[in-house]
Amino acid sequence: MDFRSLFTRKSKSSSIATQRLQLILTQDRFEVSEDSMKKLQLELTEVLAKYFEFTMNSVSMSIKREGNSYVLMADFPYSKTNKIR
Amino acid sequence: MGKVIVITSGKGGVGKTTSTANLGTALAMLDKTVVIVDADVGLRNLDVVMGLESRVVYTSMDVIEKRCELSKALVKDRRVENLMLLAASQRNRKDDIRPEQMQDICEKLKEDYDFVLIDSPAGIEQGFHNAAAGADEAIIVTTPDLSAIRDADRIIGLLQNEGIEPINLVINRLSATLVRKGNMISKNDVLDILNIDLLGVIPEDTGVIASTNRGVPLVHTERSPGAEAYMRIARRMTGQRVPIPDMREDSFLDQIANWFSKKK
Ligand SMILES: Nc1ncnc2c1ncn2[C@@H]1O[C@H](COP(=O)(O)OP(=O)(O)O)[C@@H](O)[C@H]1O
Ligand SMILES: [Mg+2]
Repeated sequence: MDFRSLFTRKSKSSSIATQRLQLILTQDRFEVSEDSMKKLQLELTEVLAKYFEFTMNSVSMSIKREGNSYVLMADFPYSKTNKIR
Repeated sequence: MGKVIVITSGKGGVGKTTSTANLGTALAMLDKTVVIVDADVGLRNLDVVMGLESRVVYTSMDVIEKRCELSKALVKDRRVENLMLLAASQRNRKDDIRPEQMQDICEKLKEDYDFVLIDSPAGIEQGFHNAAAGADEAIIVTTPDLSAIRDADRIIGLLQNEGIEPINLVINRLSATLVRKGNMISKNDVLDILNIDLLGVIPEDTGVIASTNRGVPLVHTERSPGAEAYMRIARRMTGQRVPIPDMREDSFLDQIANWFSKKK
């Protein structure tokens, strides 16, 4: 647990802004519709789900700027307790 | 041979003109030769921020349409040596100028001056393209809010497509108090999101408004946090190694939390 959550009652507006911005920029940089992105996410998850166990909504995708190009990143939570099928 | 740097943002009202005026003045105070160019055709105000409006006779449009020599169109600053202004035409529209024409002016200016700073208009249309046309490098100005950062991201992409490099970031109007309270996106979050090199951070400073009222750039003011921040950026632009000071954005709780996580 985050130590700070003991003291702050509601979530800070700056962290909400940062999260929203990450999502907005992923879509801006991607230049594809939200639907296509969801579809891609789903299909990627299906492939990985053949090997690992996790829930669909724990997967997140983003595009990060690296110098002059962009890197597409898909984050899948991985832990050793996740059984390899 | 000097370099041409476009100061741009996407969103309006984030501090492009303020930054152009102050960085131009600061660089001239550091004994560099500088021209600041207003590329906001039709909505010019760099002359006003510099307090030079009464001295403007010719504009870049007069140079383009050959009514006047480039060197004659430059207005000398009232306070600092080696600082010149090239004003924009107030009667014309942004698409009355073509990118090649701006490029031509920039090429000529950088033969004679160390720094040519271009104050870009807001937006991503013709006016922005004209401003960036002759630029070797870019400075992106953003404020720490959602829409300004989003627009900055778009502009960075466009500048990279034009092969402009480096593209450095100035974060303007940061309030350490608001960041600490969790009501403003922090410097590190902005950097994490945009992922370009940071040139400096300008704090929210009420002195900016007073300096605009007087037509005297903030860097002439002593003991102003904004002026000091601009001076540090100018030093960095001349190649000096000047650290970016921390604005104490971390709250007391954050500091304790950091201490705990280090212990683990
Ligand atoms: N660091 C700052 N602190 C306080 N006010 C600022 C600061 N920077 C800019 N401003 C104010 O914000 C407004 C817009 O600035 P300006 O430089 O004209 O933006 P832009 O050229 O990007 O449209 C001006 O009224 C200016 O005084
Ligand atoms: Mg402006």
